[in-house]
Amino acid sequence: MRTLIFADNYDIAKQIMGRALQDSQFTLMTTESNEDLQNYGAERVIFLKGQPVYSCIGETIISEFKKGYDFILIGSTTIGRDVAAYVSNKLNIDYMPEVFNYRFEGNKLITKRFSLGGKVVLEEESSAKVLTVTPGIGEGVRSEKKSPSEEIKIPDGPIKVLGVNPKQSQGVDIEKADVIVSVGRGLGKKEGLALIEQLAKKVKGEIAGSRPVCLDYHWLSEERQVGYSGKKVRPKIYIAIGISGQIQHIAGMRDSKTVIAINKDKNAPIFQECDYGLVADLYKAVPKLIEML
Amino acid sequence: MPYNIVVLVKQIPDLELIKINKDTGAPVLEGVPYRFENLSKNAVEAAVRLKEKYGGKVTAIMFGNEKGTQVMKEAYAMGVDDGYIITGYTESNPRFTAKVLANKIKQIPHDIIILGNQSADSMSGMLGSFLATQLNYPLLSNALKIEINDKTVTASEGTEKFVADEAAPLPCVISVTQETNEPRFPPVMMIMKAGQKKINIEPLNLPAESYSKVLSKLAPKSERKRIIFEDMDKGLPEIVKVIKEVVK
Repeated sequence: MRTLIFADNYDIAKQIMGRALQDSQFTLMTTESNEDLQNYGAERVIFLKGQPVYSCIGETIISEFKKGYDFILIGSTTIGRDVAAYVSNKLNIDYMPEVFNYRFEGNKLITKRFSLGGKVVLEEESSAKVLTVTPGIGEGVRSEKKSPSEEIKIPDGPIKVLGVNPKQSQGVDIEKADVIVSVGRGLGKKEGLALIEQLAKKVKGEIAGSRPVCLDYHWLSEERQVGYSGKKVRPKIYIAIGISGQIQHIAGMRDSKTVIAINKDKNAPIFQECDYGLVADLYKAVPKLIEML
Repeated sequence: MPYNIVVLVKQIPDLELIKINKDTGAPVLEGVPYRFENLSKNAVEAAVRLKEKYGGKVTAIMFGNEKGTQVMKEAYAMGVDDGYIITGYTESNPRFTAKVLANKIKQIPHDIIILGNQSADSMSGMLGSFLATQLNYPLLSNALKIEINDKTVTASEGTEKFVADEAAPLPCVISVTQETNEPRFPPVMMIMKAGQKKINIEPLNLPAESYSKVLSKLAPKSERKRIIFEDMDKGLPEIVKVIKEVVK
């Protein structure tokens, strides 16, 4: 089988290559320019240069696909999802979105994805040929042979790009953190963050938050939002403080290795989704915890 | 210059109210009410703001079922002028939904079509691009700021890494995110007025298309230990031990 991969993100590109390696030969197309991507077993790496407009990227993928591929894997990012729908529609091939696991049984493709806001897993059989896949689909495996590379210029289209600015970020990437201290509505007030910061410092962790804390109250910036509609994190330790544990949130931290929860409501759903739970007022428990660490 | 603005509205089951059958792991959907999908609210807000700024008319379209009238009334209260519900929605299939919506959009005057970029149930995030591709219009995706100048729309597209200022000719599809705006809470007067407004309900006139065979649809098994302490003096030392194993 020959697979064509598109990813506009270095980490996802590596992960998809790691997965594709298991059952196919593959080519990577990427808007990233990191040459390290040539070390993960691709037959070829095609670096796309020019304005990152979804339909124009889609056209370059379509011309490459027509050279003889069976399957397209696209990293699920804002641009990736737009590209995938464009390619599926233009090539008239079936698609499957947000796949976190797939396998082939004979000619059949079996995929897994979340549905109902992350409450259930849908296992489906389909004839999909273009998939958007979520971060964590595989792990990059370094190859001894360096992939040959080429550059292709993305053609122009009806959308004019007037300017591109790197996103103003405080430089946090909670998706890569080993330890996360995450707060929810139970914090009660923005000033409570000072205490959380002390704990985060002590455990060398990043601070994250639930949807209300980031989006409704703006106590934390959006790039720190964990959830189905935010970042999906997978730290070694996830400390949930004052987080009730709505499915929206669980879907973003489900892959954490160990989950610790502190909440004063003993019926909070987070206690069903944690390894160690403490029913306590966070303003009493957290200072003590800091002291003991 | 006034514009004909179409906004796509979605209803979803209230996800937090879906219980899981403890024996089978299956979701229990009976009796779960529908609600306004979050990003559809951002889309309506964006549409109404454009109307307030440039003049024109906002028409909402929903592919759903008869229960969608409640959500459509909420959209009216936020400032939508006219609403269509196409009934017969059975499952998430953005490519087919795009086809249904494109058919309807072609029947009504439109300069700009606004929708949420991902909806909270399956998060496919593909409807905007499917719709734009089928209508052969450009898509400005994840638009943070939207401005119209005569026959050109400019928007800043926010991706994970950058914000790109982009321009496209009308007609055009625009998808918005949770960052685009804060949806308004309509005043009581608007809510009361909305209740009396006519909603156009039309049955689906295309054969339904399915793109997969569902093998199973169950809650993922949680393998967590669930060791819960109600006594801080017992719980904290355990928690400290667990943390110290990782944080040296």
